[in-house]
Amino acid sequence: MKLENNKYFKAVVKEAWPYTVGAVLLALLNISLFIVTGSAWGISGTLLNWGAKLYQAVGGQLQNWFYYSDPARLRALETPFFSHGGSLMNLGIIVGAFLASLAASQFKIRKIKSVRQVIAAIVGGLLMGYGTRVAFGCNIGAFFSGVASFSLHGWIYGIFIFVGAWIGSKLLVKYFM
Amino acid sequence: MVEYRLDCLGEACPVPLLKTQKKMAELQVGDILVVEVDHSCAMKNVPEWARKEGYNVEIEETGDGEWDIYIEKTK
Amino acid sequence: MKKNAIDKEENVVETKTVVTNRAAVRPRKKRRNQLPFAIVVFLGVIYVAYLLAGKSAGLAISWIFGICFGVVLQKSRFCFTAGFRDPILTGSTSLTKAVIIAVAIATVGFGAVQYAAASKGGAIAGSISPAGWHVAIGSIMFGIGMVISGGCASGTLMRVGEGFVMQWITLFFFVLGTLWGVRHWAFWQRLFFDGAPRVHLPSVLGWPLAITLQLVVLGALYIVADKWGNRQKD
Repeated sequence: MKLENNKYFKAVVKEAWPYTVGAVLLALLNISLFIVTGSAWGISGTLLNWGAKLYQAVGGQLQNWFYYSDPARLRALETPFFSHGGSLMNLGIIVGAFLASLAASQFKIRKIKSVRQVIAAIVGGLLMGYGTRVAFGCNIGAFFSGVASFSLHGWIYGIFIFVGAWIGSKLLVKYFM
Repeated sequence: MVEYRLDCLGEACPVPLLKTQKKMAELQVGDILVVEVDHSCAMKNVPEWARKEGYNVEIEETGDGEWDIYIEKTK
Repeated sequence: MKKNAIDKEENVVETKTVVTNRAAVRPRKKRRNQLPFAIVVFLGVIYVAYLLAGKSAGLAISWIFGICFGVVLQKSRFCFTAGFRDPILTGSTSLTKAVIIAVAIATVGFGAVQYAAASKGGAIAGSISPAGWHVAIGSIMFGIGMVISGGCASGTLMRVGEGFVMQWITLFFFVLGTLWGVRHWAFWQRLFFDGAPRVHLPSVLGWPLAITLQLVVLGALYIVADKWGNRQKD
């Protein structure tokens, strides 16, 4: 019997899962992570780690930066990528998504369609990156994990990310479609 | 009955759905819109919206990570 | 004035013939079975986990959790961005409700872990950061960015893995953006961080009230989202 015709293979590997299933699993994963490592799920802190390392790699001096006047922050950059838990987790997310799409034969290099998309990616990426530093996290670290941790900042994040999404929608329709 | 094709290949989320919503509004009852997408979110949110509107929806995988979404305007 | 791309209708092709055989409309693309590649990648994942475990269990754990998050996100097409964007933009709240469910379940689990630690006199762990206007400003920025670029932090990483070149660019500038943000750390710290307290709700309201209130609010939000999503039907 062909594997691809097996109904369990189809449901689990081939077809998309319901959003609710994803919600439950993500929550259970975050809880498990919290129990096992003592830290909740977060993404953007590691992205800063990557940015700082990149900066140093091209010869940038972070020692003069106010943020890195804290020696602990500077020392944290000395951990090599493959010894850094956060980096392995973020890379894991990328590989996991890659693996899942391959298994369903749905992986495809989706090329850029227009200059508008490039500008949107640049502006959007910069805004997100900068915003995570000001707000102490992203949709995962500050909102998902923050609210789950009963932190007030998580709730503030959840309320105002709505505002940002509303503004972004107006900009998207007007300039980026 | 007219069949229209809407090429949304390469579009970012949520452009396929927005374009589909706009185009469906222009169709006559009985027309069919075939939306071509290669966005994994679109192959979920476009059919979901169309079904919620009461239209007949069929989705066919046409390539690696590419789908044709057939929407029949039933009302 | 710049014309909206939709009005140009450049992407729509009208075929006035009634279609009887759908397969004849578009030449069938050569389909590749990617499952063999998936198996190779899967074995690679296991191998990397094995190598990491040799260094430290914690590293292997981080790797495996990342893989799991990535798989779940991609399989369920889970998109926080859509949860916050679609109620207004497309009228859909299915992801909004899913996000609420995820947060609610995590609330229970995290609450149990924190309560257990607190009752033993231990420190309360979790993602607890200074609360103040900076959070509003930063999350507004983040909200704008995620909608424009078509993905939040988790969504961007997921789409990088799925092959979306646009998200490869987004990720690069996301990383640059974080660096730019800490470049201005002194400014934000002086204006906002210094005066902002970390507020752990159960520590302020007591455990019973905090947990109940949070779950009740999430439940209410779920009901509102459900009603909102259904009202577009008329």
